[in-house]
Amino acid sequence: MKASAPIGIARARGGRALALGWLAAVAALAALGPLLPLAYAPAQPDLAHLATPPLAAGSAHWLGTDPSGRDVLAEMIFGARTAVGISLGAAVLATALGALLGGAAGFWRNHGWRVPWPAWAAALGAGWWALALPGAPAALVGAGLGLAGTLLGGPRWGRRWPVPLDAGVLGATALLGAVPRLVLVVALAGTLPLTPGGLLAVLVLTAWPGPARLVRAAMLRVTAQPFVAAARALGLPAGRVWWRQALPHACLPLRTAFPLSLASLLALESTLSFLGIGLPPEVPSWGHLLGTARTEPTAWWLVAAPGGALLFTILALQYLGRARGPGPAK
Amino acid sequence: MVKLLLVSLLIVLLVSCSKRRTVEGQPVRILWTRDPESLDPLVTPNQSAIDANNLLHLCLLSVDYSTKRYAPALADSLPKVQFAGDSLTLVTYHLRPTATWDGGRPVLARDVAFTLKLMQVPGLPNEANKAQFGFIRDIRFDPTDPRRFTLVCNGQAPGLVQESGDFLILPEAALDPKGSLRPYQLGALNDRAATAPADSILVKLARRYARANLALYPGRIPGSGPYQLVRWDKDHLLRFQRKPHWWADALRPAPPVLEAQPSELDFVIIPNEASAALALRRGSVNVYPQVPVREFRRLQASAAARQQLAFYTSLSYDLVYAGFNTRRPALSNRLTRQALGFLFDPKALLLATQAGLGQCTVGLVHPTDTRNYADSLPPLALDPARAVALLRQAGWHRESTASDTFWTRQLAPKTPPQRLTLLVRYRAGETAFETIGLQFRAAAARLGIAVELRPTENASFSSALQAGDFDVYLRLLKGNPFYFNFAPILHSKTVGAGNLTGFGTPASDRLIEAIPLANTLDSRARLLRKFQRLMREEMPLVPLFFRPNCLAADRRLVHLYPGGLKPGYAAAAIKWTTPVVAVP
Amino acid sequence: MDHAGGRRPVAVGNGIFRRAGRAALAVWALASLLFLLSRWAPTSDAALGLTEPTEMQATAAETPGAHQLAQRAARQRLGLDVPLFYFSRPVAGPGQRPGWHWNGPRNQYHRWLGALLRGDLGTSFRDGQPVAARLATALLYTLPLTGTAAVLALAVALALAAGLARGPWWRRPALAALAGLQALPLFVLATGLLLLLANPDALNWFPTYEQAGAEDGLVALGACLLPLACLVLGAVPELALQLEASLAHEMRADYAVTARAKGLSVRRVVRRHALRNALLPVLPLVVDLLPALVAGAVVVETIFSLPGMGRLLAEAAATRDYPVLVGGVLLVGAARLLALLLADAGARWLDPRVS
Repeated sequence: MKASAPIGIARARGGRALALGWLAAVAALAALGPLLPLAYAPAQPDLAHLATPPLAAGSAHWLGTDPSGRDVLAEMIFGARTAVGISLGAAVLATALGALLGGAAGFWRNHGWRVPWPAWAAALGAGWWALALPGAPAALVGAGLGLAGTLLGGPRWGRRWPVPLDAGVLGATALLGAVPRLVLVVALAGTLPLTPGGLLAVLVLTAWPGPARLVRAAMLRVTAQPFVAAARALGLPAGRVWWRQALPHACLPLRTAFPLSLASLLALESTLSFLGIGLPPEVPSWGHLLGTARTEPTAWWLVAAPGGALLFTILALQYLGRARGPGPAK
Repeated sequence: MVKLLLVSLLIVLLVSCSKRRTVEGQPVRILWTRDPESLDPLVTPNQSAIDANNLLHLCLLSVDYSTKRYAPALADSLPKVQFAGDSLTLVTYHLRPTATWDGGRPVLARDVAFTLKLMQVPGLPNEANKAQFGFIRDIRFDPTDPRRFTLVCNGQAPGLVQESGDFLILPEAALDPKGSLRPYQLGALNDRAATAPADSILVKLARRYARANLALYPGRIPGSGPYQLVRWDKDHLLRFQRKPHWWADALRPAPPVLEAQPSELDFVIIPNEASAALALRRGSVNVYPQVPVREFRRLQASAAARQQLAFYTSLSYDLVYAGFNTRRPALSNRLTRQALGFLFDPKALLLATQAGLGQCTVGLVHPTDTRNYADSLPPLALDPARAVALLRQAGWHRESTASDTFWTRQLAPKTPPQRLTLLVRYRAGETAFETIGLQFRAAAARLGIAVELRPTENASFSSALQAGDFDVYLRLLKGNPFYFNFAPILHSKTVGAGNLTGFGTPASDRLIEAIPLANTLDSRARLLRKFQRLMREEMPLVPLFFRPNCLAADRRLVHLYPGGLKPGYAAAAIKWTTPVVAVP
Repeated sequence: MDHAGGRRPVAVGNGIFRRAGRAALAVWALASLLFLLSRWAPTSDAALGLTEPTEMQATAAETPGAHQLAQRAARQRLGLDVPLFYFSRPVAGPGQRPGWHWNGPRNQYHRWLGALLRGDLGTSFRDGQPVAARLATALLYTLPLTGTAAVLALAVALALAAGLARGPWWRRPALAALAGLQALPLFVLATGLLLLLANPDALNWFPTYEQAGAEDGLVALGACLLPLACLVLGAVPELALQLEASLAHEMRADYAVTARAKGLSVRRVVRRHALRNALLPVLPLVVDLLPALVAGAVVVETIFSLPGMGRLLAEAAATRDYPVLVGGVLLVGAARLLALLLADAGARWLDPRVS
């Protein structure tokens, strides 16, 4: 055991360098794409070469072309920008949002977090006013009074009503999971077109329930562990216990889930493109490239290039995820 | 446990593989990409439903695929046509004396009258028929001959005659045994307002029709067609069996439209193209109509497939075209539209997206229609230089900043200059349209025109086009060789409905109205040629090319009558032959 | 860690009623939301049983206004001409204050909810058949397939994770292979299997479903092997990877180290102690399989031509056949809520300290 330790460390270092190297290369491609001397620009169809395999005679497409005649190499390199900017960004945001919401729901459950009634009144009044229901001005006044009461009175004001955090989060995840994307899109159809920021928001909105449920489930266990109880017994504020002790441990399952969520986000992004609210086809993306294999099932190069890039990214993230993070609960 | 499972799976596998079938004398198995959904003869939601209904029921006239003309089916000859006054046409038919329903009742003029009235009864899913056949105002019986009748039609267009015989005749005795619809006048039913108080007899009839649930059980009423539906597994298989004694068997010589060769017709539903091609290769289907061009080329490239299959191509009536939103200020000028028309490269696009199998066109008329096709017009081609010249002529200027180039135009003094940018919509998921869009975008980008492509999901696509939320759209126009009625897509009266371009000038409206009313074929040809020239001049839409119709079938099948008309083959005429052994 | 004792007696009956009530409320909220969302957009011509005017170079006689008339009549027949909900917010004209308009009980939602309470899911726009019947037929095809796939996937994932936790030499390649499988979209996997294993030009080992009728059960069963393999391969990677990570984490915990120090074999520690604990964080993924059972798999069903739930729902969505769509999604939503309840119960069972 001991004798093999240095070798193990060396291998781990090598693996880590490889993983970091790959991610750095993707980031570099994303940044430097426009400066590279490419034979073909992205989103330019070469109508003489449709769905040509890599290195075919008479074509200068090194990685072949897709069914619309776009150069796979150019799409891959420029697609790295989209992958880094949108897919990876959405994965990070969705995971963070999911971890926070799921962690809070699992920690406080339905009765742990109590809010004084003036705050409830403020929220109700604001909602009433926002919907322009009859008597909106009166509701606005009510909301103002409630807000003032919350700020001035603070914790001293009488009854505190619990916020059903757990039920809310569970309900939201169930709803988002059950509503098919197409129905959501129908509802969104009026608010087209989507900007990259809007697309990011849609991706995050549909992707956060997964991590949220994972973290919630883990949190249920963590809160039952002695070290959390001990921290509470010491009289530490609940928020601090949650943030410092409980959340880091509850987030452990995300180390595996995060890299995998990248794959599903790429798939989602190509679904959204199909529905007409995703990235337009002139924006190169790995997900879209992978999707073009649908019409050309024998074109292995359309799967190999983006699929390989995706696989290496997942493996690199997975490797880094396993190497870091808090140790086991003691 | 696991071993047991594996062994049983293996056994299943072996049994299933060892079950070989001989193809000789087997049913003809035809591939469909979608389920017909409903076999209600009044509702035909898709091509599969139309084809299936044509096996169960017959029309007065139907298309003979060998000549591509309408030929008598239930009628014994083409109808006699008379014009009455200046707005009516009288079409007189005589039904075949031998024609009977299952069970032996003769097909009579009463059944035709009943069908026409049924298409106007409120509360039935007959809205499409109501709109299409509303021009038949009355039916007059011949007191001496229960098989002779005259249809009184509104209008005098030549196409009316063919259309007046193109609906499925249903049996009165099965759906309305008491003849409760007989007292009603066809014209009165036709004019019934949607808000009219409910009529108990009509309500009762509609209820009885709904109870029959023909959508799912079409066999509940007798048909006059050669086949009956014996099995229907939704989204999987439809099996039609030839009636052992069908009335038309006695006809000598058998008319081509009344041929019914296969003893059994199976329609197998396979939505995925790759799976469909494999099913054809394995012989589990024998006919693959409307093969996507790429799949067709792949099959043709395989030596094994060439030995097993025969390949047929013809030119379809599906036109791929681009349309402009002429309501947009930037596109209201025809010079701008003409300029943008020169940014499409139809020839290269045809070669790329249809493997060169279709045909480019100068207008909306089919290129094989030599009488009407405007062959004097030069074909459209990519010509950026002319596009630039035309844009300048239309008042646009190219401006350049450090980062980009764009075209602007001053519409009125003291208004901010207008920029030329285009939003292109097409149906998402169709590679051909994506390729066209990318080609147009690349050609426009070279001139400095910004083009945004917006593939849109099917239903949102329709509503976006209706709402005018586009600059350019790419689409398919399904046509036919029989009618030349361009009003629904280009008349100024249909702006907001079928006319998506918003185009319409008094001159073009007059021409569009005149074409269907032309009395002779020559005068119609003159008008059609004039129309094509006018469309080239105004260019509300850019016709790119007609798509090919590819059909792959087992080599041993004959009499497929492949052609551009939907569905592209004659299912009931197909015959098995013994394979011809090639002698080296 | 002690998981044999410590289970407290709780007021089970009360809890179950509360939970069931909450679930029913959630199903109602979900159904209402779906109903309203899905009918937000205008109905397409396809759903009304009409051909689009621009798709067909219309026939000789159709007049310009005829199409709109037909559309209106079809909407009236399908009950789409009345307002959507009890109140609506008409678009305010210039100078008008936006306000709410009360429509009364003569609205689509009221009618739909009334029918739903009587157990009537409505009839399909496309073929006029009862939605419940269509769903039942599709489920008959889907459930056996997805059910088997879920059980197999779970078994394979458990076996894989338990094997990997022992740290064999093939751990790294197996993890990479699983990640690779996860990176492949399902349609690539399905098409690949089909082109490799049911292709006269490659290996023609498996029958496919279009060859089979209902009478040849064995062929049909054989035809389900490829889709089954595809579903299992698609579901295993995430499950196995998560489970493996969770198990590895548990194996480093004190109790496992102690058990190992006491001389128990790794296999035994995994089986007896760690697996149960490792399952807890993965439970949401496992339970997610249940709604997936009902929802079917569009991609696999389309590629292997299986007439299942996934295809039914996808086609209903594409043609805006709302009754079928809402009915199907309601079913899936109910399954999901049930799954959440099960997950909660499962978490309690796995770790009684979780309250």
